[in-house]
Amino acid sequence: MKFVDEFRDADFGRTLAAEILATVGPGHHYKLMEVCGGHTHSIYKYGIDDLLPENVELVHGPGCPVCVIPMGRVDDAIAVAHEPGVIFTCFGDMMRVPGSNGTLLEAKARGADVRMVYSPLDALRIAKQHPDREVVFFAIGFETTAPSTALTLRRARAEGVGNFSCFCNHVTIVPPLRALLDSPDLRLDGFIGPGHVSTVVGARPLEFIPADYGKPVVVSGFEPVDILQSVLMLLRQLADGRCEVENQYRRVVPYEGNLKALEVMAEVFELRPHFEWRGLGFISQSGLKLSEAYAELDAELRFAVPGVRVADPKACQCGEVLKGVIKPWECKVFGTACTPERPIGTCMVSSEGACAAYYNYGRFARERELV
Amino acid sequence: MTCDEHHCITCGDDGVPMRVLRVDAGRALALCEDEAGAHSSVEIALVDPVAVGDTLLVHAGTALTRLEGAAA
Repeated sequence: MKFVDEFRDADFGRTLAAEILATVGPGHHYKLMEVCGGHTHSIYKYGIDDLLPENVELVHGPGCPVCVIPMGRVDDAIAVAHEPGVIFTCFGDMMRVPGSNGTLLEAKARGADVRMVYSPLDALRIAKQHPDREVVFFAIGFETTAPSTALTLRRARAEGVGNFSCFCNHVTIVPPLRALLDSPDLRLDGFIGPGHVSTVVGARPLEFIPADYGKPVVVSGFEPVDILQSVLMLLRQLADGRCEVENQYRRVVPYEGNLKALEVMAEVFELRPHFEWRGLGFISQSGLKLSEAYAELDAELRFAVPGVRVADPKACQCGEVLKGVIKPWECKVFGTACTPERPIGTCMVSSEGACAAYYNYGRFARERELV
Repeated sequence: MTCDEHHCITCGDDGVPMRVLRVDAGRALALCEDEAGAHSSVEIALVDPVAVGDTLLVHAGTALTRLEGAAA
């Protein structure tokens, strides 16, 4: 397919890998963080880390929307799903995220009407098909999915669909990046910037990274050639002593973002004073809730939501994985007690989670290396 | 949505290139087809105007941008 095949070209990939090798300085260890879970998935799927020199290390960031949801919010979701007459809709991955008392999938087995959807629009369609039921959409994600939720809520209001509401868990990318950069236990040389988030918000919001923290950023696409080229662009910035936001993903990302998307988000959402992130704790102004104009569609106001904070399981080190402090396989329960079939932590659930990506694509390679 | 080996149950936060088959401009919806041939309704309010044959980048059922040109 056009826009896909040319960015998976193996020969071009090898040429880029050779240029990367020629660009790295000896005696320096480069730590580059890919912010987005989509990048993590591609890196493991295509074995991109195997093409890089040993002194270029990719560190996985907090940009998987499923992985950052704390257990307390899953418990809240399950409580709403058990309300009489509710059809609870969510993306597939979210159904398998464990709360303190099981997953949404297990709630479904116990009789709650939980349904998987691919988009909020699907959830709205279910609401129109079942006017006698309350349909709740479990909204998660960064600025990539937030416009979709916002448009659906605007549509629900315009069409007068009164039995539809949204349990909003949308988050924004800049506050956790700032929290990571302020964290003392992490030394990074540069960032592979989030491609699709930047499609919405533009590359400008990332300018604080070079300006305030002196680290280069390259906004990157998700195909293997995109990621290799972005690594090369970062290494060239470091070699030249430059420090700026570059856009490798120009075919998709306009520097200013999508103004219509920002407009509908500003209409439908407002910032929460603070929001809890799994492993990262509370981060101020990092989460979105429905604005006053859309309060009637807010599931948190329509239903009793327990809102109890739950500590992460002790054995699980998702927090350290999300901060890039440890690699997935360094977690004590990785691949033993915690697997994609029976995950303990969120990073093992989503296909964009670092642990699941490594388990699916790289586990056996790691075992060979250890022998 | 694309269903590859490990990506069938998606969190929805997956950018999928889709081709426009039919446009309902009045409702800001388009019928689109993905690489694997699966059809779905897509919100096009953020990328208006859209023509049949355009390729859109779709996230959670909403087109975020139109893919143009092929240069990396």
